[in-house]
Amino acid sequence: MMFARLSIAVSALTIAAVTSASAETVTLTAYSGIFQEHYTKAVIEPFMKKYPDITVQFYGMPNSAQMLGTLRAQKSSPQIDVAILDVSVAKAGTDEGLFDKVDESVSANVKDLYPNAHAEGVAGVGVTFDNLVIIYNTDQVKTAPTSWNSLWDKQYEGKVIIQAAPDIQGTTFTIISNKLAGGGDYKTDVSAGIAKIGELAPGVQTWDPKPDVYAPIANGQAALGIGWNARAQIYSGTSGGKLGVALPQEGSGFQINTINLVKNAPESDAAKKFIDYALSPEAQAAFTGEMFYAPTNSKTVIARDALKRTAADDMDKMIDIDWLAVAKVRDGITEQWRRRIIPLSR
Amino acid sequence: MTTAALDIPLSDQKSSSAAGIALTLLLPIALVNAIGFILPVLNLARMSFNEALPGGGIAEAFTAANWTGLLEDGFYIELITNSIVVSLGITLATLLVSYPIALYLHRASGAWRTFLTVLVISPLLTSAVVRTYGWIALLAEQGPVANVIASMGFEPPRMMFNTTGVVIGLTEILMPYMILSLMAGFGRLDPKVEEAARTLGAPPFRTFWRVILPLTLPGIALGCLLCFVLAISSFITPKLMGGGRVFLLATEIYDQAIVTLNWPLAATLSMLVLVIFGAALAVYSRILHVIEG
Repeated sequence: MMFARLSIAVSALTIAAVTSASAETVTLTAYSGIFQEHYTKAVIEPFMKKYPDITVQFYGMPNSAQMLGTLRAQKSSPQIDVAILDVSVAKAGTDEGLFDKVDESVSANVKDLYPNAHAEGVAGVGVTFDNLVIIYNTDQVKTAPTSWNSLWDKQYEGKVIIQAAPDIQGTTFTIISNKLAGGGDYKTDVSAGIAKIGELAPGVQTWDPKPDVYAPIANGQAALGIGWNARAQIYSGTSGGKLGVALPQEGSGFQINTINLVKNAPESDAAKKFIDYALSPEAQAAFTGEMFYAPTNSKTVIARDALKRTAADDMDKMIDIDWLAVAKVRDGITEQWRRRIIPLSR
Repeated sequence: MTTAALDIPLSDQKSSSAAGIALTLLLPIALVNAIGFILPVLNLARMSFNEALPGGGIAEAFTAANWTGLLEDGFYIELITNSIVVSLGITLATLLVSYPIALYLHRASGAWRTFLTVLVISPLLTSAVVRTYGWIALLAEQGPVANVIASMGFEPPRMMFNTTGVVIGLTEILMPYMILSLMAGFGRLDPKVEEAARTLGAPPFRTFWRVILPLTLPGIALGCLLCFVLAISSFITPKLMGGGRVFLLATEIYDQAIVTLNWPLAATLSMLVLVIFGAALAVYSRILHVIEG
């Protein structure tokens, strides 16, 4: 905790130093690593070309929770203008009064967004959709898996890696498994899904792959696992095809990143311009082409080959996950993982 | 160190001015400590009484629910006992492998001793993250250790992504601390005493049991305290080598603070670790009292 507090303080200082350099600098916080790399290229650089008097400073953080922690710490004097983070974390931030509402007064593009880009009680709106996929090592798994049930295949015992709940990969996987097992409404009862993952548990190599789920599969330490489509698509390219990506026939579930306007942000007007641009069909198409997140703006026109690498064609098979309802039952799901799944794998 | 400063007899004029100087000299570090340690800890203590809302929100409150919830929940009771038992096991393992090395180093002399000491300390120059990844490579399913065991005709056990991996990794990582503490506590071990025991006819084992071991107890106590505290607060190695199966206090604090966003519960667990530290210190001073009694 001490270290986290210190690093928050240090990062706050760094941001303060950076923002004072230019009058119109929008500070955006979002995921560091490959998200930062590709978002900068596809969205931020074209935006700065369009608005030469605005500079966008990307402040990357490894996950949404850390972004929320930083925003909390800066509540009395915000240094960040815009935050892109997971919808359930955005809900917590909205409840704590950290964000201003993003509506049509901020961006005319808001009216063109798909209905599931709007979440009740969240100030921001959806900016990217991603979905859970099966990822596999192409040396060890010769034919691309077509079903989630491949994970339960005995020949891969000890070679399966899953990021367990409370991570949302584990939570999403619970909801998918619940559907596979013929369970009822995930909002009330996921015990069928928990029992099904329990059958998989003895064959799971690790519940906490490091540095992430993609690297151990690309280098052959594991054969099969679950991951997010956009990142998997990128790593599939950078691993020279060692990492395969498959969207199973049973469909999948979405993860939603929202874009949020920080309350009392230092550069609110420029920040609104940036949010407007980020939601525009132009920026949405560019980012989908760059990193294969599905767009949230219904007017977005995307090249056929990029679209095929998102879940856009399989929208009818997607489980419509209500993340705000899940937030309420997430602790219960995590508890079941720890008591009824992970102990089976010891 | 603080007690030493406070023990100065104030009746004496000369030492009272010395006490004044001592207090003045202590002031800067006391201030740094107050701002950098005591205030955040108090903040943490306050946080542990806040209410956690589902989905990661925090409500300002004054409730003992986090504390009572912790002590009523079987999962957390198991987690706490597991943390203590695993840390004690690691401490014991570290002591057993470090003691002979420290004893040998204590007896070595000259350049040889310097060389060996540098060798013992050198792992500290490499980050624990790097060393943990080294262990992951060594203990992996098809790794060198598994291959050696397999070549001897045994079925290699799972040594990674479970408690075994965490114990092996942490034992090696904590060895330099244990060896240095042991050597620091070996001051009373005089070769002449050993010689005397031998001349009086004590066989080697008896010399060790009745002479060497009792004289090195202060070093053992210090090393064990240090390793226990470091083991129970270690985070990187259990996180990397535990495979999400080993639930310990430090990894749980991380999960609650960073993943689940339940800061009040994370704060409660952090305070609990402080309580365990306090208990370990109390046990240590009790042991020291008995040894030197």
